[in-house]
Amino acid sequence: MSEKVYLFLLGLFPSQFRDAYGDEAVQLFRDRLHDEWRFFARVRLWWDLLADLAVSLPREYGYLRQSPTTTSIPQRLEGTPGFYLLEGGSPRAEALCLGTLLSATALMAVSFSMSWSARTISVPGLTLSDNTPATKSPAGVDSIPLGLRSGAQISGVPPNVAPEGSGLVGQNEGMRAPTTEHNDSDVDPAERQRVIDGAVANLKQYYFDRGVAQKTAEALFAHEKNGDNNAAREGTTLAALLTTQMRDASGDTHLVMEYSPDPLPSGPPAQTPEDEARFRDAMLQQNCMIRKAEILPHNLGYLKLDFFPDDSVCGSAMRKAMATLNHADAIILDLRDNSGGFPDSVSLVASYLFDHPEYMYEPRGAPTEDSWTHSPVAGSLLADKPVYVLTSSSTWSGAEQFSYDLKMLKRATLVGETTRGGAHAGAFHRVDDHFGMGIPEERSINPYGKTDWEGVGVTPDVKVGAAKALDTASKMAVAKLQPK
Amino acid sequence: MPKRKLDPLPSAAFQILVSLADGDLHGYAIMRQVEEQTGGRLRLGPGTLYSSIQAMLEENLIEEVLQSAEGEALSERRRFYRLTGAGRKLARAEAEKLADTLRVARERKILRGDYV
Repeated sequence: MSEKVYLFLLGLFPSQFRDAYGDEAVQLFRDRLHDEWRFFARVRLWWDLLADLAVSLPREYGYLRQSPTTTSIPQRLEGTPGFYLLEGGSPRAEALCLGTLLSATALMAVSFSMSWSARTISVPGLTLSDNTPATKSPAGVDSIPLGLRSGAQISGVPPNVAPEGSGLVGQNEGMRAPTTEHNDSDVDPAERQRVIDGAVANLKQYYFDRGVAQKTAEALFAHEKNGDNNAAREGTTLAALLTTQMRDASGDTHLVMEYSPDPLPSGPPAQTPEDEARFRDAMLQQNCMIRKAEILPHNLGYLKLDFFPDDSVCGSAMRKAMATLNHADAIILDLRDNSGGFPDSVSLVASYLFDHPEYMYEPRGAPTEDSWTHSPVAGSLLADKPVYVLTSSSTWSGAEQFSYDLKMLKRATLVGETTRGGAHAGAFHRVDDHFGMGIPEERSINPYGKTDWEGVGVTPDVKVGAAKALDTASKMAVAKLQPK
Repeated sequence: MPKRKLDPLPSAAFQILVSLADGDLHGYAIMRQVEEQTGGRLRLGPGTLYSSIQAMLEENLIEEVLQSAEGEALSERRRFYRLTGAGRKLARAEAEKLADTLRVARERKILRGDYV
């Protein structure tokens, strides 16, 4: 204990002094400690040390000020700031820790202020533009379910539960018979040009990367000029064509053009209680996309989740599923058919896997309170259990976020295939009465300093065909649990 | 390491030079020797001790030698310090200066006794 205190005091000296005499000073202290073991001798020892510190510290730093190592500094140019090197060598561990702490605090403060301003100025996932109907952010934009909870942010799409009456037809959703006002086959060249001009204007205004926006805009114009769109007489065909052109040019699978035979609303869509009830019923009918929550042989907990459902609707079902696995010795999370979901649900599942809050990086916008797991979860026994995440080439969006973050946090072993590669989410912008587009607008800072998984997917730790992923992960878990 | 001043010679530095007059010593032994030769009035703390040592090394008043302390293993070799010719000369000059001061003090009856 005494030595630790003295080491701390010694740490107050300049690094040059510590480097030259630190060891000897400690040795001297030890020698005195050994020889001066009586109470009063110890008191005198500490008195000597403190008195010495009071005299020596200012003197040592005084030497530093008097003779900074200016000789190594090149001639200062006129008007150019110069720096004097006061300390040579590597920074101390304590200095690094303090620096890290201060940096993290500053980062959190910036994140918090960004989050606050995002909430105050524009609700996350709800973006208004001058010419848009201000719908909720359709993050998974192969089709856009509009009947969801107001203000929610979603990434990815629950299969088979998009409520009817959304008013939009995704190019993957198939055709729907035109109902009013607009015939799907009456897109004339003038309207086509208008849609393209509108798409370009929206891209330039809202897409988070100006360079990519410009490149994509040029591609759209080039295709139109080359006559590539001449055959697209139907709205759905044109929407699909423009989507392909934009994705090819940008490499961003969340860029999408949508067509609606019904006129798109010019203001925020009314979220009727019926819409919400319909969505809630659809989710509950699908058991909140929880396909399996069971204990496999060797006490392996297995959760097959095909979507990260809305916490407000499916929170209790999700908690129940996680409770089923609570006494397992290892966890296998099967996301092979998972198409994404709500960030708060991603955070909810991840919360069980940590004993302290962890930041779940999400590239779709500024951090929110749900960007941190709510760990520890009371009663959860899973925080220290091995976790295996099964992935496939269909694993998408929010499920990729879950996989990516757990991999980066070294909390899970990913087994299966490289995921589909959809990282960005978009806000919906109205182009004209029948066309609208999804545009990723913002991107948060990746704490891992890498590009996210957009277009490239999340690479598993153990590459194996999706069909064999469960078997492989089970064997790995059993092997890991074997007593050594 | 920044350059340290030894002019005028600080008391701690002088005492260290004197302590090394009889032979090489390591840091702790210097501290103990100084304590003894000053009647316990001066116990050098590590900061003062090694700052003075550094200053005297820079001025070539002492030099460093690596050797084992008595009763310690070879692997536990410490840095010992040895008085150089210049160091001995300076210590003598400083001692004579003090002796002169002492003589004056006795003449002025500030200090009693007939030594020196």
